[in-house]
Amino acid sequence: MANFLAQFQTIKNSSDRLVISVEDVSDLWPTVKPAFEARLPFKKASLNNKTRNPVLVETLPAEFILTTDSRLRSRFPQEQLLFWFREPYATVVLVTCEDLDEFKTILKPRLKLIVQNDEREWFIVFVSKAHPANDQASKMAKKVYAKLEVEFSSKKRERCCKYDMHFPEANFWEDLESKITECIRNTLDRRVQFYEDEIRKLSEQRLMPVWNFCNFFILKESLAFIFEMGHLHEDALREYDELELCYLETVNMSGKQRDFGGGERGDDQAAVLNPGNKALTQIVQEDSFREFEFRQYLFACQSKLLFKLNRPIEVASRGYSFIISFSKSLALHERILPFCMREVWVITACLALVEATTSNYNDGLMVPDIEKEFFLLLGDLYSLGRVKFMRLAYLVGYGTEIERSPVNSASLSLLPWPKPAVWPSVPADASSEVLDKEKLILQTTPRAKHFGIQRKPLPLEPTVLLREANRRRASLSAGNVFEIFDSRQGPVEGSGFDASSRMSPQKVHASSMSRTNSSPGNFDGSIDRPMRLAEIYVAAEHALKQTISNQELLKSLSSSEEFEQKYLELTKGAADNYHRSWWKRHGVVLDGEIAAVAFKRGHFDQAAKSYEKVCALYSGEGWQDLLAEVLPYLAECQKILDDQAGYLLSCVRLLSLDEELFSTKERQAFQSEVLRLAHSEMKNPVPLDVSSLITFSGNPGPPLELCDRDPGILSVTVWSGFPDDITLDSISLTLMATNNADEGVKALKSSTAIVLQPGRNTITLDLPPHKPGSYVLGVLTGQIGQLRFRSHSFSKIGPADCDDFMSYEKPAKPILKVFKPRALVDLEAAVSSALLINEHQWLGILVRPLNYSLRAAVLHIDTGPGLEIEKSHIIEMESCACVSQNDDGQGGAQVDSLNYEKRFERLTLDDGKVVFPNWASDTPSVLWVLIRAISDTLCRGSSSGTTRRESIVDGMRTIALKLEFGAFHNQTFERTLAVHFTYPFYVRTRVTDKCNDGTLLLQVILHSEVKATLTVYDAWLDLQDGFIHTGQTDGRPNSSFFPLIISPTSKAGILFSICLGKTNAEEEATKQPESILNIKYGISGDRTSGAHRPFLNESTGVDGVRQELIFKTAITLQRPVLDPCIAVGFLPLPSDGLRVGQLVKMQWRVERLKYLDEKEVSQQSVSLRKQKKEECLLHVRSLDEVLYEVNANSGNWMIAGRKRGHVSLSIKQGARIIISVLCMPLVAGYVRPPLLGLPDVDEANIRCKPAGPHLICVLPPALSSSFCIPVDS
Amino acid sequence: MATTACFIIVSRNDIPIYEAEVGVAAKREDAAQLHQFILHAALDVVQDLAWTTSAMYLKSVDRFNELVVSVYVTAGHTRFMLLHDSRNDDGIKSFFQDVHELYIKTLLNPLYLPGSRVTSSHFDTKVRALARKYF
Repeated sequence: MANFLAQFQTIKNSSDRLVISVEDVSDLWPTVKPAFEARLPFKKASLNNKTRNPVLVETLPAEFILTTDSRLRSRFPQEQLLFWFREPYATVVLVTCEDLDEFKTILKPRLKLIVQNDEREWFIVFVSKAHPANDQASKMAKKVYAKLEVEFSSKKRERCCKYDMHFPEANFWEDLESKITECIRNTLDRRVQFYEDEIRKLSEQRLMPVWNFCNFFILKESLAFIFEMGHLHEDALREYDELELCYLETVNMSGKQRDFGGGERGDDQAAVLNPGNKALTQIVQEDSFREFEFRQYLFACQSKLLFKLNRPIEVASRGYSFIISFSKSLALHERILPFCMREVWVITACLALVEATTSNYNDGLMVPDIEKEFFLLLGDLYSLGRVKFMRLAYLVGYGTEIERSPVNSASLSLLPWPKPAVWPSVPADASSEVLDKEKLILQTTPRAKHFGIQRKPLPLEPTVLLREANRRRASLSAGNVFEIFDSRQGPVEGSGFDASSRMSPQKVHASSMSRTNSSPGNFDGSIDRPMRLAEIYVAAEHALKQTISNQELLKSLSSSEEFEQKYLELTKGAADNYHRSWWKRHGVVLDGEIAAVAFKRGHFDQAAKSYEKVCALYSGEGWQDLLAEVLPYLAECQKILDDQAGYLLSCVRLLSLDEELFSTKERQAFQSEVLRLAHSEMKNPVPLDVSSLITFSGNPGPPLELCDRDPGILSVTVWSGFPDDITLDSISLTLMATNNADEGVKALKSSTAIVLQPGRNTITLDLPPHKPGSYVLGVLTGQIGQLRFRSHSFSKIGPADCDDFMSYEKPAKPILKVFKPRALVDLEAAVSSALLINEHQWLGILVRPLNYSLRAAVLHIDTGPGLEIEKSHIIEMESCACVSQNDDGQGGAQVDSLNYEKRFERLTLDDGKVVFPNWASDTPSVLWVLIRAISDTLCRGSSSGTTRRESIVDGMRTIALKLEFGAFHNQTFERTLAVHFTYPFYVRTRVTDKCNDGTLLLQVILHSEVKATLTVYDAWLDLQDGFIHTGQTDGRPNSSFFPLIISPTSKAGILFSICLGKTNAEEEATKQPESILNIKYGISGDRTSGAHRPFLNESTGVDGVRQELIFKTAITLQRPVLDPCIAVGFLPLPSDGLRVGQLVKMQWRVERLKYLDEKEVSQQSVSLRKQKKEECLLHVRSLDEVLYEVNANSGNWMIAGRKRGHVSLSIKQGARIIISVLCMPLVAGYVRPPLLGLPDVDEANIRCKPAGPHLICVLPPALSSSFCIPVDS
Repeated sequence: MATTACFIIVSRNDIPIYEAEVGVAAKREDAAQLHQFILHAALDVVQDLAWTTSAMYLKSVDRFNELVVSVYVTAGHTRFMLLHDSRNDDGIKSFFQDVHELYIKTLLNPLYLPGSRVTSSHFDTKVRALARKYF
């Protein structure tokens, strides 16, 4: 059967659609042919797929062929079975008949004969030629057709249809199509069934020796072809897939060594998309096919079907894996294949796939995810082709053109060298080429790295090419010298020069020896002599010329410019597709390669852009090793482009990379570049972000704590990433309030130059007063030369674990806390009890710092009126053990007082200021100021009957204090202290007894007013006029009572005996209205508790000597009054009460109590008051008339009638009269009633009832609309 | 033991926070960088693949000639990436699981800021011991 392969191929190639045979019984075909063929291809044909499920085929191409056609007639029956797929799938029998007899006699037997063959699917088309106008003919045609139907159609299946040539019925074509489709479907099913059976039969024999893959292939492909003809591509594809599986199994299973193939000219070009590349007969080998061609053939068939199914993405994905797996197969057979066949094949396959899939790909019709997948595959294909292309280029000597970047290095250095059986040797006539190459190698200098970076370039070769090539050659002859020493050689550079320069002396010798041997013309026949690099290149080039049949690829390797062109094309293709597939890392890396080419060509602008993308990717993701590789190139581009800002930034980024990535020398080069630019004239000074290089943080530990309005000094740790010291001309640091965002950010400035050493530095900044709140570090800005830099806040613990990218997440630590305003110090009077007035007294001012230092504080003292500071300006200061007022600090306070050491210092007041000593900065202290309160008024005593009227304000003096403190005297505290001064005694008097002889016993009670012990040494009374001391005493009590000691707040009494005396004329001049009590006393008290002995200057005062002070107080004595003359009584008011607006009669009864004597009337009225005795002296103008006057508050009362007038009152004792006045109360409430006064009579002579002022109740008015109250009342 | 193995932990921000060459092969000077490059490029694959499965161990996600990249993604999207040439799938899985445990212990350290570089020498020692054990 395998012999039929050639035939099978031809048949398959010649027939590409389904055949429908036409049995033209009545010679009608030429007439109806155009109409029939116009229906082709069939639309929406319903066929069954392999699993017998109906499938709607959109278009089904077919061909009508007459049975008499030579194509159908000339076949042998055997062939028919084998190539059944090309046999007609339906038979259309075209008949016409106009006569029933004719039908019966001629047509029917003939048709019976035709349709008796069961194999065929047939149906009859009755063509009616009758014109519709011709009724007779039409009727006849109908009759004949009816007969036909009866004869050939069954209930199961309609096999007839009628075609009216002139007026075809509307549904005829549909009918026809459905009939044809039905026939095709049935035939298809039958044939598929047949092939499947055959295939099954064959498959069962698979493990038998007789099994022949070719036969299996023919059957399988026939089946696939049937499906393909029926446009059941899905099924066809499945057949090919199965075929592939089966083939791979055969290849792998059979232990037979078969020819792989691929050795022919042109095989290097992949035929993955061209199934007709080679005739199958050419690749048949025994009972199977050569792997190289056949697998490509299968893939090509599959891809053809996939394209028909409009699935280019699947082509790409299958293609990629096919290339990979096929490349592996090629590697297995590399020894028998031409040199680098595998690489060339992969390149061509990738490019062919890319081209085919993109041209078959309809943009934008796919789901985004699938589209992404597609571009990814394209990217992979490009990338694969690119790598192989680079490998070829390296072999022919363009290695220097290839950028030694991580991507290239990773791709090439991990990819093994090609392993030909024998490494190609230099052709005989290539000596000049070798020389040229050698020259080229000598000329190319390795690209200088920028900044003098001494990094070792990345390798592009898995092992040294020189060694690999020679080893491959040397393996021909054992024991080669080169092989021996080469095995000891460590990994060296790919270039021969690098290698020789680094070799051991022995190596150098060998190398030089080889060089001397290689003089032109001397390398013929030196098959065992090691080749030099140039020779390897030339040999590879020649070998590749043999291998590569694709002219375009050959051209791409012909010169370095052409190589670069192709390289760029592949790289761009890969990069673009990776970008479109969102594989940014792959894409951006390849952008870097494009940039490298652009850089080499001098398109620095373009290069910089691409490099920036790469750098952004690596730095964004923190892959510093990779960044270190690219960043110098970017910097170089920027330098060339004079992009100072970018260049500076790149330098800073280089500096901020991990230290181990660059040597110190290199880092110093970066720094010097920064400094050079900073101190040069910059056209546009740009701020430079050095956040990654200069970082800062607060000092570890708690934040600096300051009180409100306090300035301070902030210490900040600054990390410098520069390798050397760097001078910052100025810096400023902002602080941001954490609680209050809208508060203006204040910058702390330091204008002095700061030198930062590498690593940790501590700088201090002056801190002006800040508002209360907590602050974090903001931005550090500064200037290096012309360069303004800034660094954003993130703290770094140390350079060891620096992680710039993550530190944004670290919570900002407050560096400064400014407390809300609070009391920092307290000033108060040390003593609360009163001091002596008019004497020098120590005023204690208690100064209590509240957790705040009072170092060098200044106190301004300003006395108020009535108070003066003693001239000597002596101030004493002593520490005070008084416990703090904090309740919780009770225990601590006790400890303090135990450890307390009393300090004392005498200070002087200078210009109203006193400066605190240092010891007083933290401890409470008392400041004693010598003052004197001045009072001109004389102290007055009071009688026991009256309450004490003396106001406490009289003894009050104020002293204004202002304390300036804080480190910069920025804090002030002001307070006005009230100091209470008093006389030592308060005196009250009372007459204890009025004796019969006119002697009055006057008791003087002394109240001690101070918290000190008073000692009375002496007391005497200077009496006023009208009083004299009884007896011949001078008014002093018995001296034996003295000294009289009066304890604090206790009282003592002294009794004086006086009597009323006559005034004589001499004394008239010196008459005094008041009596004066003089007390000579001493005081012993402590200034810490209150009044004390007045301070005298050391010069005058003698310590220990009794100090006597004089206290004077005035006492008013009143002579006793005579009997009262007139009594005034307020008569009761009506009982129903008073009401506003209601008239009421006020009545007073005036009664004469005493007969008025003529003598006494003329006597001058004198009023004297004595306890419990009242006498009245009446002065009367007219004896029997009394002047009266009613006084009332006009707001409260309206008075009707006479307010003032005379009433007659008899001078007889007991005479009485009633004075009545009509009044009207105006306001409700308790008000004073009108008062009756007798202006002519001395007040002292009137006895009133009630005695004192009193109130009466007035009710509110009864509701009345007509009643009005004066508004102003 | 694998001849080449490079282990990297990549934080969820794609930043490498720990790297270790755990292979026994004589170290090529430039190997670390190439390995980094390969692993970095493999992040592209991981980003697509990580969301298609609920398993943490993604098996081998990428191949680079003879080298394979195996990836393990934690719940916090920290990726453990191993570039290796051994085929010991079970061993690698166990290695990842054990390293995950170690990593969680590191995370529990209050002084360790999640996402920052793992500098603990103890962690490093343990990881290398695990590598010796499983590869």
